Amino acid sequence: MNAGPTPRWRRYLGFIRPNVPADVDDELAFHIQSRIERNIALGLTPEDARREAIVRFGDVDEVRAALVRHDERQQATERRAEYVADCAQDLRFGWRALRRTPAFTLAATITLALGIGANTAIFSVLDAVVLKPLPYAQPDRLVTLGQGSSGEYLGLRDRLRTITDLAEWDPTTDPVDDGRDALRLTGVAVTANLMPLLGARPFMGRGFAPNDAVPGSGRVLMLSYATWRREFGGARDVIGRTVRLQGLPFTIIGVMPPSFRYPNAGVQYWRPYVIDTKNIGLMWGVGGKEFVGRLAPNATLDQARREVRAVWPSLRSANPIWDPGPEYRRDATVTPLKADVVGASAPLLWMLFGATLLVLLIACVNVANLLLARATARERELAVRAALGGGRARLMRQLVTEGLLLAVIGAAAGVALAVLTVHALVVGVPTGLPRADEIVVNGTALAFALVVGVATAVVFSIVPAVRATSAAARASGSMLGRRATASKSHARASAWLVGGEIALAVMLVVGSLLLVRSFAALRSISPGFDPAHVIAARISAPAATYAPGSDRLAAFYADVLDRTRAMPGVRHAALVDQLSLAAPVWAQAIRVQGQFEDVTHTLPLIEHLQTVSPDYFATVGIRMLRGRSFSDDDRAGQPPVAVVSQSVARRFWPAGDALGKRIGYPFDSPWITIVGIVPDTKQDSLRDTSTATMYLPWSQRTTMVGSELWLVARTTGDPAAAGAAIRRIVHDIDRGVPVSDVRTMRDVVSSSVASARFTMALVTVFALVALALGAVGIFGVMSYAVSERRQEMGLRMALGASAGGVVRLVVGRALRLAAMGTVAGIACALVATRPLDRWLYGVSPVDPATFAAVPIVFAVVALLASYLPARRAARASPADAMRDAGVRSAG
Amino acid sequence: MPTSRDPGDLLQGTLRILILKSLLLGPAHGYAISRWIEDTTGDVLRIEEGSLYPGLRRLQDRGLVSSEWGVSENNRRARYYTITRAGRALLRTEASIWLEYSRAVARVLRAEPSLA
Repeated sequence: MNAGPTPRWRRYLGFIRPNVPADVDDELAFHIQSRIERNIALGLTPEDARREAIVRFGDVDEVRAALVRHDERQQATERRAEYVADCAQDLRFGWRALRRTPAFTLAATITLALGIGANTAIFSVLDAVVLKPLPYAQPDRLVTLGQGSSGEYLGLRDRLRTITDLAEWDPTTDPVDDGRDALRLTGVAVTANLMPLLGARPFMGRGFAPNDAVPGSGRVLMLSYATWRREFGGARDVIGRTVRLQGLPFTIIGVMPPSFRYPNAGVQYWRPYVIDTKNIGLMWGVGGKEFVGRLAPNATLDQARREVRAVWPSLRSANPIWDPGPEYRRDATVTPLKADVVGASAPLLWMLFGATLLVLLIACVNVANLLLARATARERELAVRAALGGGRARLMRQLVTEGLLLAVIGAAAGVALAVLTVHALVVGVPTGLPRADEIVVNGTALAFALVVGVATAVVFSIVPAVRATSAAARASGSMLGRRATASKSHARASAWLVGGEIALAVMLVVGSLLLVRSFAALRSISPGFDPAHVIAARISAPAATYAPGSDRLAAFYADVLDRTRAMPGVRHAALVDQLSLAAPVWAQAIRVQGQFEDVTHTLPLIEHLQTVSPDYFATVGIRMLRGRSFSDDDRAGQPPVAVVSQSVARRFWPAGDALGKRIGYPFDSPWITIVGIVPDTKQDSLRDTSTATMYLPWSQRTTMVGSELWLVARTTGDPAAAGAAIRRIVHDIDRGVPVSDVRTMRDVVSSSVASARFTMALVTVFALVALALGAVGIFGVMSYAVSERRQEMGLRMALGASAGGVVRLVVGRALRLAAMGTVAGIACALVATRPLDRWLYGVSPVDPATFAAVPIVFAVVALLASYLPARRAARASPADAMRDAGVRSAG
Repeated sequence: MPTSRDPGDLLQGTLRILILKSLLLGPAHGYAISRWIEDTTGDVLRIEEGSLYPGLRRLQDRGLVSSEWGVSENNRRARYYTITRAGRALLRTEASIWLEYSRAVARVLRAEPSLA
């Protein structure tokens, strides 16, 4: 009973798995056969011998079934245990292998983390802002019709069939005084049906009822959840409390749930919009009210558009005193509410997402490259293990486990990075990103980036493993000999990967340089006034106490101006109704004497109208080109006067002198004489090209602008220091007047380009990451190449090559690699940066200077990244190289 | 086992002792075990040979015997069983209990009045 070798076919079967039924059959057959043979030896006939043997054995089938059942269960348990043990061993071994090469592990982990983190963060923002449906009932049926007047609203509401319900809201904001200090809350006036239309119910209290919105009532308001918590301490008894709005008492009737943020998260209260239907004629043409509606169940967007375009122009016939012409609103459109809310953020976020996809791709390429280089370095180890009987599957599993371990570590770091980045983005985005408060780290994005990262790590662990193990099988005899073919193809693969990585990085760098140049161009634009040493503050005198046109209002602002001018360090102070570059400055249609006098025809539009006090031009640093500024004598009752900017003068009086010419409001009113001409200034933004501005003295216009004005002051020293004093001055005069938005003009100008700066900064960060990864890639490939060719280098030096020559050889190779990548990248960038156009100012998306700079940037990167490996190559002494070669051939 | 009142258990306990004892001679396949029991007891304790194999599996599951494939005297593939260290220890304990038990029964049977 000596245990000999198993038959060959059995071994083969066992390679797949032990054949349990066959084994059981073998064992039982052996027993019965042996018994039969003994019985025959004892003299029985073969038939009797068989019968006796089976009788002795008992129920063969039952025993066989029991044994098979038992053995199969046993097998499964053993396989499971073995698998778990192998995995644990793989993990331990993988962890040790990663620890042995900390530089590789760190580089791969950071790379993966950057790729996964950046991609997840931006996708999270994209999803929350652009992709996720709005938090209202059936949000895809909600539409906006743009702006109009209340008269038009009523007409549209009653006539449209494709839109079942239409609500109106007024975006002007009013200060709220809750009886303590002046409290400034931003709110909107909405028709009572707005909340039911959106499918929202109050969190607490009641919503608006139809009779809240009839003239004489409407003194109620609803708070946003955030405001209720922050300003009213989340008190339950807030319902029924009275606050003052424009000096009038309003009763709080309800609180909306946290998810309700229409029209945006900045809204702190809603009050009913009261439409005076008796005097509706007066409300025609007073536009600026927003219309939002819900599509009828069977109506399509196109049907709604057609109907609105037909109905809207017909409304004008309902109103005899206001006729904007037959073409009025022929171009009216219906926009899905989400597109309206998301607006310009969508293309920006898609662009940024594209940039992070590039980063993720580069990261994956980099990890792949690192894994390849590492696998090449370990080829011998793998060959030895394969030769010593490590099965191919087992070896591959080992390598894949290592890749997975790496991916998991990198992914964990990536998740942490994503969480931090999303937080930073939410805090750091310039105002204007809609739905910013809905942004959270997105599970889908995370899963996507994780899958990509992990797949990269796994695939690029398997590829070298397959190669290494098959190479080992081929060369098991001469495994310590020169590893020629596999290394060469690895090196080629690495070069391709690094070339691709550089091409991707080139696209990001081109984009970033374009945005940087564009931003510089934007910042170099002069606003037309001098923002240095100017401070601005919004002073919200409540209309109830300070009625527009009242003496009390005039006295209040005169007092504010006097006290501000008396402050030490203040040189000029003035008032303006709409601050330049803070928010859009509205346009005004005018009559022009001798040119456009007929009010029933379309009148020319002056892009911006500012109502200012006499010292305004000196305060903000606008010099007079001709004529005079306003003076205190330009009072109500005196001849009306105006100052216009250069392009207004040129437009209407191209040949002659605009001074002394007369213009007027677009209705029957006295002519206004132009007394001065000033340069054009930027009003809406630094990119503004429509800069024609008309200035009118406030004292002649107090009835036509609100009671809220901006105070601007020019100081000798730091303007920011005057802020607190201005607040104190207003508070001393009337503590019921809120002061807000106290900002230096420099800050206002800088904020107006905040989103351009944000875009530029983000893309630049991505480009820098891409550059760094590209450098790591070049460094890795060159280091590996140098270590592979140590012998050759030593030989060259022994044959008289100078150290400089060797350095040039290595650096030259890196430069060639970078050059190929750059050429490919530039070719892609010529197409890929086209969509950037909308964010560029004064720079073409195919800006020659930028495209010329990129090769220089990458040449420098290639130089820096290959210099260290080149130095190492040059230091390889001929003797070392020879010894190394000797060891190899001896082995 | 003697401590049990279940005759099935008693039978299994007996089978276990027989198998383990047979393996003290060295590794053996199932047929050799059944032949050894047959020869040693003079065919008195005749076991149903089919029950031998599930019994061996149970012993193996408890770690009392181990098995591996080998080739028999007549060059056939056979599964060989070997008693483990734990198997020897159990055999020793159970053997002493069995001997004590049978001695006690023998004393009872020899006591007065005699059976004859």
